[in-house]
Amino acid sequence: MTSIEQFLSLIHTEVGLELAVEDIDRGFDQVAGWDSLHLLTLITALEETTGQQISMPDVLQATKLADIYGLAAIS
Amino acid sequence: MTGSVTTAPASADAELLELHRRGRLAADYPRVRALVHDLTGLELARAGQLLSRVSADEIAAAHPGTTAVTVAITGHSTVTGLVAPLTAELARYGWPLRPYVADFDGYVFELSDPGSGLYRAGAALTVCLLDPTIVFDEVPTPWQPDDVESVLAGKLALLERLVAAFERQSAGTLVLNTMPLPRLYTAQIVDYRSRARLGRIWRAANIALLELAERHPALTVVDLDPLVAEGVAARDPRLAVYTKSQLSPDLLAAYARELGHLVRATRGRTKKCLVLDLDNTVWGGIVGDDGIDGIEVAETYRGEAFRAIQKAAKQLGHQGVLIAAVSKNEPETVRRVLAEHPEMTLREQDFVRVIANWGPKHDNIAALAQDLNLGLDSFVFVDDSPYERALVGRELPDVTVVPLRTDPATYLPCILADGWFDARALTDEDRQRSAMYRGDLARREIRANFSSIDDYLADLAIVVELAPVAPGQYERLSQTTLRTNQFNLTTERLQPADIQTRAEDPAHLVLAVRSRDRFGDNGLVGAVLARREDDRLVIDNMLLSCRVFSRGIEESCLSALLGHAVTTGMNEVTASFRPTAKNGKVRAFLPDNGFTVAAESPEATVYRHDLAVIADVPPYIDLHASFERVAP
Repeated sequence: MTSIEQFLSLIHTEVGLELAVEDIDRGFDQVAGWDSLHLLTLITALEETTGQQISMPDVLQATKLADIYGLAAIS
Repeated sequence: MTGSVTTAPASADAELLELHRRGRLAADYPRVRALVHDLTGLELARAGQLLSRVSADEIAAAHPGTTAVTVAITGHSTVTGLVAPLTAELARYGWPLRPYVADFDGYVFELSDPGSGLYRAGAALTVCLLDPTIVFDEVPTPWQPDDVESVLAGKLALLERLVAAFERQSAGTLVLNTMPLPRLYTAQIVDYRSRARLGRIWRAANIALLELAERHPALTVVDLDPLVAEGVAARDPRLAVYTKSQLSPDLLAAYARELGHLVRATRGRTKKCLVLDLDNTVWGGIVGDDGIDGIEVAETYRGEAFRAIQKAAKQLGHQGVLIAAVSKNEPETVRRVLAEHPEMTLREQDFVRVIANWGPKHDNIAALAQDLNLGLDSFVFVDDSPYERALVGRELPDVTVVPLRTDPATYLPCILADGWFDARALTDEDRQRSAMYRGDLARREIRANFSSIDDYLADLAIVVELAPVAPGQYERLSQTTLRTNQFNLTTERLQPADIQTRAEDPAHLVLAVRSRDRFGDNGLVGAVLARREDDRLVIDNMLLSCRVFSRGIEESCLSALLGHAVTTGMNEVTASFRPTAKNGKVRAFLPDNGFTVAAESPEATVYRHDLAVIADVPPYIDLHASFERVAP
């Protein structure tokens, strides 16, 4: 995962949500259309894209998309 | 490079994504149906994610003809994972999903409380997802197989009470599933004897679940074992632990496919005819080149693959599926293979018709549809040639074309993958169907020899029986409402429980129509549903199998019903016609038989008959009508 834009594009194609860069720092409850179920879809997609397993408890504890981007970028 | 070059999407998956990017999934829903139809695995899963973000209302607004399916989902653990795959499966048939997802572990409350959100959702299908934690969350630590047995006994009793409550509250179908037993649990019992006992206890509970469906007509239990046996993992450890989604996404996807088949069956969209190519589909080799002795139908490596297909076709044929052959061949060669080849499993009498000629297959299938009086959407076409498949798919988009892989050993799993012929229940008529249709084709040929249609009908010696439905016929009558699309005034689908409720209500008339003629017994071919409202008789629906209409049977039944209305002191009879894509044939039935328009709207025309003049029963029909219920 190299850029925020790629991350947002992945969310758009896999989860179906079109988000702006500023959305990733908002709390999930502030992101229109977000549902906790989307985390699972996103994890699967991120793992496929990066070829790395991402810590699911860390993702589930994330409060905003930026946290997940951080987890995916490190792994 | 210039900026305006548009390249065609490389695949259905890519095109779907493009529609999603452009926000066109609702607007282009008919195209979506074609795109998702043959997707599988990850691509279908992704399609489900994207489509589950589009509401059924949005799709209905863009396409007023679409009919959404309301499905309520509940269970002990997290059940939201079923929504996306079910959305994708139903989209394959052009039906938007309107899901109702109950709260976590809400199944006991939702199913027992008559005022629950689940019942208010009015779902056609209610899925209560059962998983192993429904039991293992309640056994003590440490546990023994006996603990599992006693928790299971309690759960089975609870489930039966919930099923009974459901039957009181809902007219829909409840779906339960057998519970897989993951190794995670068996491996925690270290001695083989106790482990075997756990396996036995678990299976006994699953058997009891399957038996529940025998006592409760509104319940269907889907056995997940065959899905797991295909190599689908039952559990994903991370999702199970972190999100309490106890059944894996792959298993939920496979289950959603089965649920799609069930929705198809309850909506009366079961396919009726399997059309098979012959060369390299039913037998190995090309009979025109290889000779009758040169084709492979048994004993050889490839021969066994084709024998399996032949046996399965025969198996389906004995359960009411019409088997037809459409082959580019010399008719005499094909006739000799079917009659003389010693190793063939399929013979001429297994087919409703064998069409061997050099004409285009789509023309042959269209002619067959006309002769059998079936819609093209009742046909499933199997051919090893991608060319023929694509051509039939293009020329007859309503025909289901089975995508085959290249190895003949994989043909049969491909043919069976989508449960095209799955039905809620089978009746005696189903088992006789192929013979009945062959009789129909014989009648058609005789008909060509008569100068007038009345002479022909008189020669048929048609006997019609119109009588209150007997309890043993509820299933068959329900099926008539589910399967009949053409001669069907309102296309109201009724489950066996609905038939029973009406049959037991003294205000209702639930009449079964049976017919026979000199070619044989047609069995139960139609239904008349009516009810008394003061001095008016309201015809709720009239239906007749497409095999027997236009022979005076429908006029006879209507004449008898109107006569009955007069003798029971009724002043008028009303009936409605609700147009669908398929019932145009009966649009004129009521006005042609003395009814006048009483009210008109785009959804329905209400007709009224003043009972002043009632048309006679046609002279060539021997009608036996009775309206009195036989006391049980």
